Amino acid sequence: MKRVPLFVAIVLAAALASTGCTKKAEAPNEINLFAWSEYVPQGVIDGFTAETGIRVNYETYASNEEMLAKLVSGAQKYDLIQPSEYTIEALIKEQRLQLVDWAKVPNFKNIGQEFKNLPHDPRQLYSVPWMAGSVGIVVNTDKIKEPITGYNDVFQEKHSGRIVVLDDPREIVSWALATVGKGPNDVTPQTLEQVKPILARWLPLVKVYDSDSPKTALLNGDVDLGIVWSGEAALLYAENEKFQYVLPAEGAHQFLDSLAIPIDAPNPIGAMAFMNYILRPEVSRLISADFPYTNPNLEARKLLEEPELDNPASYPPGNPKLTGFSDIGDSAVAIDKLVTDLKAKG
Amino acid sequence: MRQELTSFDGGTAIRQRRASPMAWLLAAPLFAWVVAFVVAPTLIMLVYSLCERGTLGGVVYHFTWENYAAVADPTYLNILVRSVVFSLVTTLACLVMGYPVAFYIGRAPEARRNLLLMLVMIPFWTSFLIRTYAWVTILKSEGLLNSVLLQVGMITQPFEMLYTPGAVILGLVYTFLPFMILPIYTSVEKLDNALIEAAFDLGAGPVRAFSKVIVPMTSPGITAGILLVFVPALGLYAVNDILGGGKVDMIGNIIENQFKGSARNWPFGAALGMTLVVAFAAALWYTGRRPRTA
Repeated sequence: MKRVPLFVAIVLAAALASTGCTKKAEAPNEINLFAWSEYVPQGVIDGFTAETGIRVNYETYASNEEMLAKLVSGAQKYDLIQPSEYTIEALIKEQRLQLVDWAKVPNFKNIGQEFKNLPHDPRQLYSVPWMAGSVGIVVNTDKIKEPITGYNDVFQEKHSGRIVVLDDPREIVSWALATVGKGPNDVTPQTLEQVKPILARWLPLVKVYDSDSPKTALLNGDVDLGIVWSGEAALLYAENEKFQYVLPAEGAHQFLDSLAIPIDAPNPIGAMAFMNYILRPEVSRLISADFPYTNPNLEARKLLEEPELDNPASYPPGNPKLTGFSDIGDSAVAIDKLVTDLKAKG
Repeated sequence: MRQELTSFDGGTAIRQRRASPMAWLLAAPLFAWVVAFVVAPTLIMLVYSLCERGTLGGVVYHFTWENYAAVADPTYLNILVRSVVFSLVTTLACLVMGYPVAFYIGRAPEARRNLLLMLVMIPFWTSFLIRTYAWVTILKSEGLLNSVLLQVGMITQPFEMLYTPGAVILGLVYTFLPFMILPIYTSVEKLDNALIEAAFDLGAGPVRAFSKVIVPMTSPGITAGILLVFVPALGLYAVNDILGGGKVDMIGNIIENQFKGSARNWPFGAALGMTLVVAFAAALWYTGRRPRTA
């Protein structure tokens, strides 16, 4: 009896070892895509492989830092990664990205002007926008009757224990900065000191910190208010219109996730073929159908249906005040410490 | 190690005999395993903990003690203490609940024993994360438990159970209970009935027979159970995230954040990890060197 597990282990080890060897020898008719989980529809990957014969190995991550950790370790070479704006900026600074040959990505013309030449990639040399979105307030209007327009309306004593927020120190600090009229990138020891008492008041009111699926606590009825990704809010709104999305009047974070090619990518040609493929309106439309963020592809938006375009979480009406994050370097450590400290006290 | 072996050379007892080449060969996979998956990672962690933070994550190979100075910050010490308290409560609850169960299984007739053991093992057939999410369904405001309690009229308002420290402890106890039951069971199974009978014959009541004979004889199982529960419970952060709502950070969450969170501070994460490793090693060494008094 005891011999069986050992035998199985040996067979498994041998199998692992052999796959490890064969992988390297293959010709590059495949690309390694390293992207956010819940962000690339399988149909899009299958469509690309069916058309080009290029196989796609899709590996996922749950935070920019998780992606960086694997990228920096160099254990696996990726052809395409999907960083957010501030991570692109850091990667460009460290010369970790390849130039995109725009002649191979003609469909880039479909991207709207307001998503091009943004501060993180000012000359648009390295990245192809995937989806944009914002971080805003979701209100369960069945439970909360008064109007909620900004962060200060959310963090009130009467909503204690009824709030879910992203488990992300940088996001949380940016909201407090907005209430004192500072931008999300204005992170200095002075501004952090300024928002500390505000956060000390806010954090004890929070019931759940969740970045992966903040909609769950709202759907389950465990909380009535949330500050969450717009895509999560759009899914909540599609489920039940009692979940209203509000962009905070003080200002909010607009994120933009893009495809980029690491400097050591084995198959950059394949990567650019994939970029061009997903920029086709009919393909980009499929991504919007599954993940209702703000599609930067204006040609694809024309193919969307009325309810999709009317979803205020996907396409916020009016002219909201939105800012992208920039790379703040070592200040991230100070932010992490501040929020950890306040959470521990709360 | 080799020194010790040669100095015992020529001894008569079996355990003092020189290891044959065959024995070394048989032990080689184990040594290789320990070096590759225990020694090497720990050394890497030690080196990382003495380096500076890299901009994109990773480390810059430039020596510094700073990360250990940061560990000594009251914020992190408080979190460490609280994590230890949570683990202790979990271990105690597992012991109190697990011992009678293990005892019952160990003393049951053989045919029934296997069935009962099987019941303890069945939860392992499902992913730990899925089982933890199942608790969300049970504990949430509009969940199973609240609707049952409301139906039978025991409460009038949904009882807030999810996202509380109690829910975290519940999840931890649920996760680790089998790790307490199984080692204690193996000790109970080997328990010699004659010794218990002798205790009764010599005038011990049930309480004294239990405390003077049964507990000491099953103490290897108890020790193993305590270690198997306490150590992993201290590091497990998923339960805290899912059932505790991430509201109160555990030391495991803090370490995870240094690698996967916005701080990207690998050296600090490594320093926290090393601190835990050293603390455990010291605790094990201390309990191991205490003279056994029966």
